[in-house]
Amino acid sequence: MIKNYFLLALKVLKRKPFYTFVSLFGISFTLMILMVLTSLFDAILGNNKPLTDRDQLVIMPMIERTRTETDTILRIDTIAMQGGEMRYDTSYTYEDDIVSTSNGPIAYPFLEKHFTNLDGAVNYAFYNDNTHIDGYLEGRKFTLNSYYVTHTYWEIFDFNFRHGTEFYEADVESANQVVVITDKAAREYFGEVSEGVIGQEMVLGEKTFTVRGIVERPLSDSPMFAGDIYMPVTTTDPRELSSTEVYGGFGAVFLAKSPEGRQAIMDEINSFAENYQMPADSYHDAIEMFNSTFFEGYAMGLLGERDPKVATRTLFIPIIVLILLFVALPLINLVNLNNGRVQERRSEIGVRKAFGANSRDILLQFIFENLVLTAIGGVIGMALALGLISYVNQQDVLGITRLSSSPEVFLYFLLVVLMFGFLSGILPAYRMSRTNVANSLR
Amino acid sequence: MSTSTSTSLDPAMKPSAASMPMIELNGVSKFYRTETIETLALSKLNLTVPTGEFLSIMGPSGCGKSTLLNIMGLIDEPSEGTVTLAGERITDYNGSYIARFRNEQLGFIFQSFHLINDLSVVDNVELPLLYRKVGGKERRRLAQEALEHVGLSNRMSHFPNQLSGGQKQRVAIARAIVGRPKIILADEPTGNLDSRMGDEIMDILLRLNKDLGTTIVMVTHDERMAKKTHRLIRLSDGERVS
Repeated sequence: MIKNYFLLALKVLKRKPFYTFVSLFGISFTLMILMVLTSLFDAILGNNKPLTDRDQLVIMPMIERTRTETDTILRIDTIAMQGGEMRYDTSYTYEDDIVSTSNGPIAYPFLEKHFTNLDGAVNYAFYNDNTHIDGYLEGRKFTLNSYYVTHTYWEIFDFNFRHGTEFYEADVESANQVVVITDKAAREYFGEVSEGVIGQEMVLGEKTFTVRGIVERPLSDSPMFAGDIYMPVTTTDPRELSSTEVYGGFGAVFLAKSPEGRQAIMDEINSFAENYQMPADSYHDAIEMFNSTFFEGYAMGLLGERDPKVATRTLFIPIIVLILLFVALPLINLVNLNNGRVQERRSEIGVRKAFGANSRDILLQFIFENLVLTAIGGVIGMALALGLISYVNQQDVLGITRLSSSPEVFLYFLLVVLMFGFLSGILPAYRMSRTNVANSLR
Repeated sequence: MSTSTSTSLDPAMKPSAASMPMIELNGVSKFYRTETIETLALSKLNLTVPTGEFLSIMGPSGCGKSTLLNIMGLIDEPSEGTVTLAGERITDYNGSYIARFRNEQLGFIFQSFHLINDLSVVDNVELPLLYRKVGGKERRRLAQEALEHVGLSNRMSHFPNQLSGGQKQRVAIARAIVGRPKIILADEPTGNLDSRMGDEIMDILLRLNKDLGTTIVMVTHDERMAKKTHRLIRLSDGERVS
């Protein structure tokens, strides 16, 4: 039966080449865009390397200091004109008012002192906020995004090492001048990505580092790992390491045992901030530690919104609505085309029913035919999308972010194709399956 | 190739009134209602067709012939009255059971053939078997046999558009008989054909009735064709007049 439906579907498609072309063009173009979008989302937000533990992370990129003062508020309650004079009743209230805030990345010693022993965290890593450093080779100058990180950074972020290894605790303790570089940096600096690069030296600023490993550049543009080179935290500016301020250049990331465990970490951080006693000589009197899950952090960073829930809603709901609209428009168009197509086959449906097909058989036949059409469109769309993804990645069109072509993307794509085929076929198929046989044979 | 000689039924072969009725209609009426008007297509019709009978129905256009045939074929529902086919009283016209009943017991032949143009001749003939879960090889064998019966075994891989009107109707007959139904309902099967081809089709139907004992009900406008059948009834304005 299925084979029969399949062959018939192919014949039907061949019978009206223009209709088939229009349908396939719409389907493949829509699916191509959807796949590229899926690929982009997967690249930015997917749990691809080095974000395999994405859903267990709590990110603490910044600290904020505030000063609160009690303010006298004068409120005019009523105004009345009396004998040509204006009279009014007033009341006073005393309210706390934040009069000063400032925020920024955190000082490394502050992090080390207070955030290495959170009860809910099974691991933590500190990394500095992306800074630039100049590299020199044979009279050429390279500007590289550099990261100074703790050795645990490599445990939390599972980078894909193409050659060599990460640096270890001993390297950090001894402030060894070793560096892990991305494949992109290796290609630009050394002209190759090979085992031969391991052990070579890089002049970075005023120091010389030895290449310890080459990692594949992550797809995501997360500020947690947007670097070209990664060095032990202890090789950074000594002033960073001995700062007594709360501000510095660092962020922190904590690993929970499970996604549910993240809340406990966030509660612990917030509780610490609430109870933190500012030094007596400090102008500010309280701190807040920005902390969020990966998704919330992404939305907060993009929108500049402080409330994680509001940021997530504000960013993702319009995106979801836009995508649904984007899918709905060609879907409705396809439903319309399919309606016309099945109407032309009323007599065939009548004959099939007269000879024993029930409504379910007709429904299945037309849905199957539509799935065949969508599957062909899907294959074309996928080929186009792969070409586009490859072009975008090769030309680095999106800057730091590259498009993903992971198995998840294909899985989502397959689901979208099936959904597209099913949804665009079901309504016309259902209508035709209910057709009165006698009417369709007139 | 089929012959164009015309044959009549042997009166001796006419089924006796005592044989089991294959089709029984009791008080069957059909009316179509719109918001403002009610049109009567059939009025309190009683009809019994014995097993093995070849019955023809005649009457002017719009008298309800096709409606009657559709009701017998369970592709239309009577507004009133009962339909009993092969001893089974049919009450539900929507279910899968009716679809299966049509598939196993009934065969249809239409004036305009209603072949599926995207399917080859043999695939068209196989159609009823497709809904009977018959295996591919068996389907092909039975379709081949049915096509041989109508003299078209050499056109199996052709498509309907490549055939003449007479050939198309023969394919339609093969499709109607491939599932060995007890009843064949033919709605003006020779209406779109010239007289020579019409005779050919009529011969095939007569042979089917005679050889396989299939009960056939045929709607026709052609008195000459009707006379070749066992019995003729006439309708006028939805009522039986003879």
